Amino acid sequence: MAETGGQGARALALQSLSKSFGNGAPAVDNVSLRIEEGEFFSLLGPSGCGKTTTLRMVAGFEAPDSGQIRLGAQDITPLPPERRDMGMVFQNYALFPHRTIAENVAFGLRMRKVPKPEIATRVREALALVRLTGFEDRRPAQLSGGQQQRVALARAIVINPAVLLCDEPLGALDKKLRQQMQFELKTLHRRLGLTMIYVTHDQEEALTMSDRIAVMRAGKVAQCGAPREIYDRPVDRFVADFIGDTNILDGEASGLALLMPGGWRLPLPEARQGRASVALRPERVRLCPPGAGLVDATVEEANFLGDSVLLKLSLPGEQGMLARVPRHAEAGSLEPGATLGLTWQADDPVMLADA
Amino acid sequence: MAAVTAHGAPTLPRSSAWLLLTPALAMFILFFAVPFLTMATMSVLSGNPMVVPNPRFTTRHFERILDDVYYLETLWITVRLGLSTTIVSLLIGYPLALWLARARSRTTRTLLMMAVLAPMMMGLVVRTYAWLAMYSNRGVINGSLAWLGLTDEPIQFLGSEAAVVVALAHIYVPFMILTLSGVIARIDTRLEEAARGLGASSAAAFLQVTLPLSMPGILAGSLLVFALAISAYVTPIVIGNYNIQTLPMLVYQQISSSFNLGFAAALGIVLLIVALLLVGAYNRVMARAPGAA
Ligand SMILES: Nc1ncnc2c1ncn2[C@@H]1O[C@H](COP(=O)(O)OP(=O)(O)OP(=O)(O)O)[C@@H](O)[C@H]1O
Ligand SMILES: [Mg+2]
Repeated sequence: MAETGGQGARALALQSLSKSFGNGAPAVDNVSLRIEEGEFFSLLGPSGCGKTTTLRMVAGFEAPDSGQIRLGAQDITPLPPERRDMGMVFQNYALFPHRTIAENVAFGLRMRKVPKPEIATRVREALALVRLTGFEDRRPAQLSGGQQQRVALARAIVINPAVLLCDEPLGALDKKLRQQMQFELKTLHRRLGLTMIYVTHDQEEALTMSDRIAVMRAGKVAQCGAPREIYDRPVDRFVADFIGDTNILDGEASGLALLMPGGWRLPLPEARQGRASVALRPERVRLCPPGAGLVDATVEEANFLGDSVLLKLSLPGEQGMLARVPRHAEAGSLEPGATLGLTWQADDPVMLADA
Repeated sequence: MAAVTAHGAPTLPRSSAWLLLTPALAMFILFFAVPFLTMATMSVLSGNPMVVPNPRFTTRHFERILDDVYYLETLWITVRLGLSTTIVSLLIGYPLALWLARARSRTTRTLLMMAVLAPMMMGLVVRTYAWLAMYSNRGVINGSLAWLGLTDEPIQFLGSEAAVVVALAHIYVPFMILTLSGVIARIDTRLEEAARGLGASSAAAFLQVTLPLSMPGILAGSLLVFALAISAYVTPIVIGNYNIQTLPMLVYQQISSSFNLGFAAALGIVLLIVALLLVGAYNRVMARAPGAA
């Protein structure tokens, strides 16, 4: 990856990073990513796929076996953590239990030998930013989980890092607090123009917050792109399955049609031959009278989700399918046992690379 | 605390809780409270009540200690030995405890642990005589120095306070290491990483985070070694070569040759008071250290 000018003055580039802990498969396997300045970039993937290891290599806590990390034009791979200009928010916050909140936030500034009066001002500002004014003299143990999380955030951003690294910072919070913190993080990111790498295994969180997402699997990047792209155009079965609910349909392709086991034909967006698979999002499926659609299905279960209804359907050939439809759609035919027709646009199904 | 149980578990009535505590309480009274009270009583009596029919209350034992510079000097030497031993054990023990607590490989940890525990199992007398063999005029140290041509005359180690401190520190350092490594192992390594990430060098991260958070271990280990060192008897006699007098030796002499139990008890009480004062002062200093939670 060559340095491009403009936006990427302080872009972070991971080049062919690999790391093995010497116990079987490598934890991180030839990962290359480029994170632009000011970008909110998420690493998403199941447990053990190497997200934390990647982040720790960027922060300098772990040395890669091979590959490079560049910040702007500088190769930072050989630098120790204290000289990398990164802020890190740990999953368990890692606040210093023996220091007050103000001292925790001031730590990075003290290490940088910032003059005392300036430290006081900047600590006050950082605490105001995370709405913790008045908590200066407490100890971390005297704060709630969400408050501790905000202290960790304040401690990391007060040093104006080139990149802010967050390792599942909201993992320990309950759903409501989590959503509130997601919103606050996003606001902070916008206000400060931070470059962020955000690790999460929550796909919803990654989709709502990120500018771009890298989906990881077993140490490798499976797909990297904008949330919309990842959601609408997953490259393979793993990504399609990991991000949101999806239907994966396998069949025998012949030209622009996929011959399904139940004997019906599914129109393909592009011509193929041989075994092929497509992913179809439940919300793309529309209902119509029996016989009028691409295939007829029987309703097995109808789950009310508030604004929509999630239908568990059974297709010919014992195949299951999920469909999410607006709640007012054909209310009568949504009872279990009912038969209805299904249809979608020809370019709604996405061809998957691994059939 | 048997009476305070979690939800759902059967709660014991108060009386049975006391019943459960009885064995521990009996042990405490029998082996700690009774001997201590006996000693305290003896120190203010004019004679042994077992032998002399009507002993009177007296403070003369304590007056004798306070009036005679010799006893105060012995007390000072004892405390000084204790402090030096504690400091040396801490300086040697801390790095080893850190290594033991942070070693990644299981084998390293096991080997280190064995190295720490093995000497403890040999017993104090054996180790003291091992040091005698090291220190003596034709011992290991002098032999090596002479063989290397560094010295013409053997160095007189035996009888010096430094030799006693080194031997005591060697004997008691496992207590320091075990206490410290337990505390250090419980400090989250991510705290140090957080400090590094915020711009601290590895030395600064140690001084700002690990060291203050290991204060409870330093405190406990130091108190343990100090208490053991000021009450040591065999090692100061053998390595000190009867050149160095400590309070435990005086106590033993008073009991075994002078048969003055009252005076021996008073010496013991004085040592106890001095030790408690020192411990209290140490505790206060440590509590004000930045690391104390
Ligand atoms: N210090 C280590 N020693 C040995 N193996 C390790 C170490 N750290 C991580 N691993 C292994 O490397 C792989 C990747 O771990 P990593 O912590 O990066 O996963 P993760 O994606 O962060 O998972 P999670 O979502 O559960 O936090 C795992 O298989 C893990 O067992
Ligand atoms: Mg992780």
